Parts: sequence; C-alpha cells; structure tokens
Amino acid sequence: MKKNKMFIIIIAVIFGTALICSLPIWGKPRGNAVNIRSGGELICTIDLSEAEDCEFDIKWGGGVNTIEIKDHMIHVKEADCPDGICIKTGWIGGENGTAPIVCLPNRLVIEPADDTSDGRTR
Amino acid sequence: MKKAAVLFGISLLSLLCGCNISEEPCAKKDFFAMDTYMTLTAYGDNAEAALDRACSEITRLEGLFSVTDKNSDIGRINSSRGQPVEISTDTAKLISRSSKLSEFTDGTLDITVYPLVREWGFTTGNYAVPTDKKINELLGSTGYLNISINDNKVTIPENYQLDLGSVAKGYAGERAAEILKEEGVTSAILSLGGNVQTIGEKPDGTPWRVAVTDPFSPSDTICTLSVIDKAVVTSGNYQRYFVSEDGKKYCHIIDPKTGYPVDNGLASVTVTGDSGTYCDGLSTALFVMGEEKATAFRNEHRDFDMLIITEDGRIIITESLSENVEFTDNTITQKVEVIK
Repeated sequence: MKKNKMFIIIIAVIFGTALICSLPIWGKPRGNAVNIRSGGELICTIDLSEAEDCEFDIKWGGGVNTIEIKDHMIHVKEADCPDGICIKTGWIGGENGTAPIVCLPNRLVIEPADDTSDGRTR
Repeated sequence: MKKAAVLFGISLLSLLCGCNISEEPCAKKDFFAMDTYMTLTAYGDNAEAALDRACSEITRLEGLFSVTDKNSDIGRINSSRGQPVEISTDTAKLISRSSKLSEFTDGTLDITVYPLVREWGFTTGNYAVPTDKKINELLGSTGYLNISINDNKVTIPENYQLDLGSVAKGYAGERAAEILKEEGVTSAILSLGGNVQTIGEKPDGTPWRVAVTDPFSPSDTICTLSVIDKAVVTSGNYQRYFVSEDGKKYCHIIDPKTGYPVDNGLASVTVTGDSGTYCDGLSTALFVMGEEKATAFRNEHRDFDMLIITEDGRIIITESLSENVEFTDNTITQKVEVIK
C-alpha cells in the first residue's frame, strides 16, 4: 500500500508540474493576435485566427484610420494622415507580417501581441 | 492520503514560487515622442523608476531638438536670421557631433538639408518634384561647414535651417541608456521608432534579438540580429517616400550634394555599434554613399558593423555581424555577400 501511495504522489507532482508550466500560455490566443493602441491606450486585442472579415474605423484627435480584417490578416485600408506610412506597411498577421503598423499623426499602433523578437529596426 | 495532499500542495507552491523568483522584474513604457512610436523595456528591481527618468529625458530632448516647435533650440536657431543663439549643452553637443560626422563621412550626412526636405514635401505631406532651378537655389542655403558653434552659441547664415532628425533619436537612445545604467539597470532594450539601443544582455543571459524590416515588404522581417550592449539603426527608402505623376519613386533621404532624394540602388542600410548617435548618423550617411563608397568606408573604419540590402535583393554584411544574423527565409543566404 505504501508503494502505491508513493506512486500516486509522484504522478500527482509530475501532473502538477506540467499543469503549472502550461499556466503562462493559458488565455493567450495562439500566435496570431494583435494589440490595437490608440492615443497610447490599448483599446483591444484581436485574435486574428478567430476574427471574421470586417472593416471598422478608429478615430483619434480628428483623424481617422479605416482598418480591414480579411483572411485572418489585418491592415490599414484608408487613412487621412499626410504620409500614409500606415497603409504602405501592408498586412500583418499569421506568417505574413510581424512588424507593427504605426500611424504617427493619428497615434495608432497595431502590433503583434507576441512578437518573437525583442526589438525592431526599420 | 492527507499526507499526500499536503505534499502535493507544498510541491505546487514551491514550483509557483520558483517561477516567480526566476523572473526579473520587468517594466515597459510605450509612448509617442520625437515624431515616432517608442517602446522602452528594462529589467531589474529599479526598472520602473529608471524608465520614468529615461522617458522624462527623451521628452526633454524632444523639447530642445524639435524642428516644428518655434521655442525649441532648433526652432530658435532656424528663425535667428544669421544672429547667434544661446542654446542648451545637449543641442550644442549634438550639433557639434553631427558636424564632425559630416566631415568624417565627406558631407553625406548634413543637418542643413532641411530646406530641401521641406521643398520636396516630406515635412508636410504636400509632395512635389521641385524644379532644377529651385533645387540649385536651395542648395545655396545648405552646407554644414557654415555652421559656427562657439561654446553654447550657434550661428547659421540667414536662410539656413537645421534639422537634427538624422541623429536625434540615436542621441536620445544613448542618453536614455546612460540614465538607466546610472539607475543600476543592466538589462534593457529601447526602441525609439526603430532606432534600437540595448543595454547588456537579456535577463536569461542570451543576446537581444532585433528584427530587421524587409524593405520589400515592410510588414515582414528579413532577418534577426543577435546583439549585446549595442545600438542598431536602419535607414531605408521603403517607409517615407512618394510616387510622382510620372511613376518615379522618391524617398525622404536627400543627397546633400545633389539636392535630390537618394536613388543609388540601395533599399536599406542597418548599422550596429557602441554609440547610438554614431550609428544613427552613419546609417543615413552610408545610405547616401551607395554600395561602393559605403563598402570602401567600412574598409577604412572598422568601429561598426553594417548590413546593406540593395534594390536588386542582394545583401552585403560585415563578417562579425554575419555570425549573429538569422535570415527569415533560408533561400536569401544565396544572395548574401560577406565582407571583412
């Protein structure tokens, strides 16, 4: 009986370890989530792998960016900023882009929620 | 069974505590400054307070260097009509360092080209190709050799205008890193709009991984550089540009000698080195120089590493950097040329 109890304890500890090690990934979308920040505030996190095709506007300080989600990717479709860098950056999401989309005049940032790099030079 | 449950509980607690202890405290700040988006991350017990100081310093420097703020040091110099202007030590130091870098790079970096940058519309978004006559006229109002600096007093000729945009973020990153080190931070990565400055290595003892943007698809990464205690800065033609009515693409980096946007077959130049200001100014200068001159320059000056991407997709990389690069697409390695 003692051996059996010991066996149960060992199994329980192994199971517990596995459980705890998996905690940090709970609740995180799997690799295809983006954070959308406007005016420095995080306004939402979208899991693109679950998202349906749609378009929406984000307004800040009188400026507007039209965001489009299509085929589990996201980009800035239209913007009233003077340089249009946010549009030129293109699509991000999945394996098709890991750089953040930044619109300086409209203070908009769309960035991968879990970029594997620590920083980016551009 | 009670004993088993207690043991299991203790095991769980010890594991949980172990996970927390192994992680260094981390502080992160995201904000807009110097006309760009910045992300500062620092590790250690004092990280939060240290980052607050670093952010304040960046904001202070923005107030000195801003070209659009009439009351900044640069704003006051630009409206001085040839009269001497008393400026802060930081601005004087940066103008002085820029001028030395201009001399060092044979004038390929020049903080006086602002009137031309403006004429091409890169400051307003009202893009237009100026006439040759206008470009020649404005070239007459440029030239770093005509900046006179004496202690904290600077004088530029009437009609001249300064813009520290090609070095300001590098300098700010350098200053922010100095402050973090003063506060005892030994592990941090500062991204000032793609101008990256690292302190030490990551808390787990591995190098920082800095992604280099693919100039042909700016939402993608072309490669990742592993660096420790270095600045990493890129200049390229893929982010700020316009296409004229005749379909020609004009990038925002102006060749100080011709007055025209650079069009020499380079798509981007990434520079890594110890000083953020040096790397920042050098990435612009090497981009203006073009492949041949930039490679020759590197042969003479070996205190930095570089990665050049040409418009036809070739990659030229210095040997020591090639040992710390990982390309996203393995097929790219066929186009890589390693230089000593």
